[in-house]
Amino acid sequence: MNPMREWLIIVGAGLGTYMSRALFLLLGDRVTMPPFVKRSLRYVAPAAFAGIVAPGVLIGETGTEIEKVLAMIAALLVVWRTRNLVACMIVGMATLWLLQWLGL
Amino acid sequence: MAYYGEGVRVVAPLVVPVVPFGLVLGYLITQTPIDQFAAWSSSWIVLAGAAQLAAVELLGEEASAVVIITTVLAINARHLLYSAAINTKFSQLPVWFRAVGSYFLLDQLFAVVEPLPANIRQERLIGIWLGAGSTLWLGWQTSVAAGIWIGDVLPTEWSLGYVVPLLFGGLMALSIRNTAGFVAAGTAGLVAVLGASLPSGVGLVVAILVGAVAGATLEAFGDEPNA
Repeated sequence: MNPMREWLIIVGAGLGTYMSRALFLLLGDRVTMPPFVKRSLRYVAPAAFAGIVAPGVLIGETGTEIEKVLAMIAALLVVWRTRNLVACMIVGMATLWLLQWLGL
Repeated sequence: MAYYGEGVRVVAPLVVPVVPFGLVLGYLITQTPIDQFAAWSSSWIVLAGAAQLAAVELLGEEASAVVIITTVLAINARHLLYSAAINTKFSQLPVWFRAVGSYFLLDQLFAVVEPLPANIRQERLIGIWLGAGSTLWLGWQTSVAAGIWIGDVLPTEWSLGYVVPLLFGGLMALSIRNTAGFVAAGTAGLVAVLGASLPSGVGLVVAILVGAVAGATLEAFGDEPNA
């Protein structure tokens, strides 16, 4: 193992990551987007969070775990009713523990 | 300063999942034969959990620099879409802030800033951004350091790592404001599952693009706009 090599790779990865975050924020209004692109960008948030969550919940590391799917459904119902993310996480974890304890 | 406090308050629940995730990464770092300080430093140099996890594993396997950096950039490519999605709110801000602020653009910060009104006052946006960003930053640095120091102390049988998907599920629900948003989320989730076997990060970016276009298409056919 070569620490110098590891530092260089991490710094390279960091610079690339920074560029991906900064590109459009630095460009600001110097980039003009067609209306359909602008409209699509308003749906990046629901699409991104669904895309981050779905594989982990539905496929998992060892195939579909039904108790995790049910815990997610319970958490989603809570956040829809209350708009409260803390309640969402508490109910989700409590449901997961209950189902694991019941041995589902 | 009041706006800084608002940012800290709004982001507080979103910092919770950072703890189990950071502990896992910190523990993994101690189990990998690489320079521990360099690996921890990826927390402030790269500042992106999933990408750091992949980078530490690949560094441990002595993968080539090209493979490691390409993997990190693919996993982090979603940030391009985040920065494009909020770029109109940024266009009036001073350049120094756009350059510094970009560094903090994590998933959770995007979730905090995206719903803010387009005509938000500059000082309020800067305050919320720095308050939320610095809180997430500190939580992440501390959690990874704690994982290196004390190991992954959370008992595995409690599945505490599951708060990460639970939080993002909640953020998804909050970001759905009309039928088109629901379709965007459903489409992206489906594409992400179908694309799960693609190289890391690629499936997610394709899923976001397809989902966002699906939402916009439905809106064009008459759903109320996503205000």
